[in-house]
Amino acid sequence: MTELRERPKPFLLPEFCKGCGRCISACAKHCIEYGKEINPQTGLVPVVVDLDQCNACGLCITACPEPYGLRESPVAHDFELEDPEKLYGTRHSTAPEPVDIPPEIIPLPPSEPLVIKGNYASAIGAILAGCRHFYGYPITPSTEGAELMAKLLPLLDGVFVQAVSEVATVNHLYGTGGAGLPCMTFTSSPGFSLMLEGISYMIGAEVPGVFVNVMRGGPGLGNIAPEQSDIKLGVRGLGHGNTHAIVLVPSTPQEMLDLTILAFDLTFKYRNPVVILSDGYLGQMTGKVTLPRTMRKPGIPKWAVYGDRNHRKNLISSIYLSETDLEKHNEYLNGKYASMAVETRAESHLCADLDVLLIACNTPARAAKGAVEELRNRGVKAGLFRPITLWPFPVGQLLPIAKRAKRIVVVEASAGQLEDEVRIALSRTEVRDLAPIEHVRRMGGVLPQQDDIVGKVKRPYAANKAAARRPEVHA
Amino acid sequence: MSSVFYDRFERHSNAEGLKAHATHYCPGCGHGLAHKYLAEAIEELGIQDRVVAVSPVGCSVFLYYYFDVGNTQAAHGRAPAVALGHKMANPDSVVVSYQGDGDLASIGLAEIVSAAQMGIPLTVIFVNNAIYGMTGGQMAPTSLMGQKTATSPHGRAVMAGQPMKMAELISGLDGPVYVERVALFDAKNRNRAKKAIKKALQIQAEGRGLAFVEVLAECPTHLKMNPEEAEAWVREKMLPVFPLGVKKDSVPEPWFKPQAPSFDPEKVMQLVGGSSDHTERHCTTFPTHLDLHDVSLKLAGSGGDGAQTAAMLIAHAGINEGFDATHIPSYGPESRGGTSYADVHVAKEEVHNPAAPKPHIVIAFNSPSLVKFGPTVRPGGTILYDSSVVKNPGKFLEGVKVYGVPMTEIAVDLGKAMVKNIVALGALQAATGLFPKETFLAAIRKALKEKCAMIPLNEQAFAWGVKAVETLSS
Repeated sequence: MTELRERPKPFLLPEFCKGCGRCISACAKHCIEYGKEINPQTGLVPVVVDLDQCNACGLCITACPEPYGLRESPVAHDFELEDPEKLYGTRHSTAPEPVDIPPEIIPLPPSEPLVIKGNYASAIGAILAGCRHFYGYPITPSTEGAELMAKLLPLLDGVFVQAVSEVATVNHLYGTGGAGLPCMTFTSSPGFSLMLEGISYMIGAEVPGVFVNVMRGGPGLGNIAPEQSDIKLGVRGLGHGNTHAIVLVPSTPQEMLDLTILAFDLTFKYRNPVVILSDGYLGQMTGKVTLPRTMRKPGIPKWAVYGDRNHRKNLISSIYLSETDLEKHNEYLNGKYASMAVETRAESHLCADLDVLLIACNTPARAAKGAVEELRNRGVKAGLFRPITLWPFPVGQLLPIAKRAKRIVVVEASAGQLEDEVRIALSRTEVRDLAPIEHVRRMGGVLPQQDDIVGKVKRPYAANKAAARRPEVHA
Repeated sequence: MSSVFYDRFERHSNAEGLKAHATHYCPGCGHGLAHKYLAEAIEELGIQDRVVAVSPVGCSVFLYYYFDVGNTQAAHGRAPAVALGHKMANPDSVVVSYQGDGDLASIGLAEIVSAAQMGIPLTVIFVNNAIYGMTGGQMAPTSLMGQKTATSPHGRAVMAGQPMKMAELISGLDGPVYVERVALFDAKNRNRAKKAIKKALQIQAEGRGLAFVEVLAECPTHLKMNPEEAEAWVREKMLPVFPLGVKKDSVPEPWFKPQAPSFDPEKVMQLVGGSSDHTERHCTTFPTHLDLHDVSLKLAGSGGDGAQTAAMLIAHAGINEGFDATHIPSYGPESRGGTSYADVHVAKEEVHNPAAPKPHIVIAFNSPSLVKFGPTVRPGGTILYDSSVVKNPGKFLEGVKVYGVPMTEIAVDLGKAMVKNIVALGALQAATGLFPKETFLAAIRKALKEKCAMIPLNEQAFAWGVKAVETLSS
């Protein structure tokens, strides 16, 4: 038996019509006209629909730009008597409440130490941390990391993408991190500069991702030699806005592996990017690396936009349009940054009993460690404090040592970026009677050498001060 | 009304009043139509759960207010890069990069062109209305010649270049499989637009490739027209510059079916080189006759001399013996033929400072290297140089032991100049006794595990290096 079915005619709630009139020319039967009366709810002038001539062609509906504008009228409803909220507001999203799929820890067999470069160690750390997505743009002296990922990831059915730029790279990370999976990049200073925009977005939108910046000489193109040129960027300059991220500073190939694994833990723990600042020397340095006894298989966190039913509700965004909402978001972020204080890490070497405290990180910390040994052999009570997190700065660990020191010497391969962090951290403790801070600095790819440090310490403080006051003459 | 739209637009000012059901777009804006067709296509294809919509920057920045799908908001121009990140994370997702003309055709050119050329399945909806909407009517890369905007108040002139024809540009690439330009100004074209958007989604959902749909849209507000005039403007002014139609349609069979990543521990260990194979040790003690704690070496030559490989072998040998060791290479900016030198340390406990400014041992493969580093060797140290190429070694500190070994000649005699660095290692062993011979040979054999055929030649080279020094000493 055939059934007579009527095509639905259009239906319009005037308060959802902006009166643009795109439906008017779409209607061959001239059923719709511009209105003349202002809708008191909207202040707009909705169109007027007269369905006498309507043949239900539907073209006006296709021409209406508003989702809740012209619609097919519900069949067999006396809609004029119905509450619109009841008619159109009861169909709730069918998306379920997302749940966490936790990561798995998988045991590994014992193995002999590897003899590998720092960059390789970091890449292997990432693989053991469960990272199967790598995005990057080749830049010396970080490239070995990307090259090893390019070699290994396809063999693990992972993803290696050589991005069109560092700008694209960070946004690939924003996508994959936003989907809830561990991902990373290797870069070096100029490339890191390009990624800062995206890092700010990742922090604002709470997207995890690991950035290994194998720092080189700057500013500008600078050179490809090691410099601690991006401490300032990592600690205080992660793009625009109120941004912070945990900054880890390895000083051995072993730490390149260990801290990369740690970085993946922390980036998911806090839903915030983590920055590893290595240096060109360490990236290229071959050393002994012992593998851990476990590796990870990632899960999918409940906040992820994975592209499946379980995560349909989610949104990754850094937009907070209202001022008060954005202020609240920043207060929330500040609370999160403050909670990262428990992640401070540092190593001290021969600091129990000391007169001269050296402070250094990355490769310069190794020269400083050599200097400590040499100075101790010469009867000078020297010790080394080596921050492993630069942000948050391990001032809680530093302060008791600094209080005992008669001299404090910051050793770094930059124009004072580490010293600034030391000074800021110590000044906030409100402890005022510390020894004056001196420094050994090299730049441009020249690392402070053991001799430079020993020489500095062997000169009395007053002599150093006089030397510092002498005007520098550039030949 | 498509069920892919939220029943209430909670994200639109917390759905206060009418904002629960009204878009933020100006009356007559083409975005609303593109949104509707996209929502309807998602519903008709039954892919709502799989969709990730990437909102751009521009007027459509708030796409996520409306679509009941996974949503991500991207930085200006970066939507295709973000979309690719999502697609790679979950190949089964259907990722839509929805972008305006400033976003896609200006600031995000590199991202769209590279994503398009890669051809990983994605759906790009490009809404071209020839003007910047959100920032208030400035010139777009697609503004027409002569078009007056806030930043081309005298009309777009030759100095601003010609409008970008993105559909043509994208269809000229190998990556995309389907490219069409559609419009919204009349019923026929709206119908085509809807079909094109649906097709572009389906192509991705089936893993066939990247599809790009350019939608010519109306911006009545910034064209300072009513919607009807804006429709006419698109038809009369935009069409001659941006002709409609299918620009490319070469949709292949489904091909995008990546495997899930592997987390098999054995496979991972094998790939990263982790092995429980224990290399036999041959040292009975640290070479304390050279230094009590830490021996440092400098190896220097031209790129290609093999200084780095030799340095690496020394570090491996040291670590195999249970010592700590480091190797740091330094190259000139050239890939080949530049200077190349290496700092190596072998320490009983821990290498503190991995640089070797005052090495115990210098191995120089050419004259400049010997001139540069020979004088840095410590009192009582050792210098080995290639006497095949260095004819006048000069004078060094008294007490420094200097060995001229014809490394290149020996290697050439053996049939491969390449192995001169292994000759050097033999010479190093004989001259300094850094490690026993077997320690070096074990490291060499381990390094050549994958190229076993090379082992005998290298063993010979090592033996000749030893012999050369023994001959010199006797």
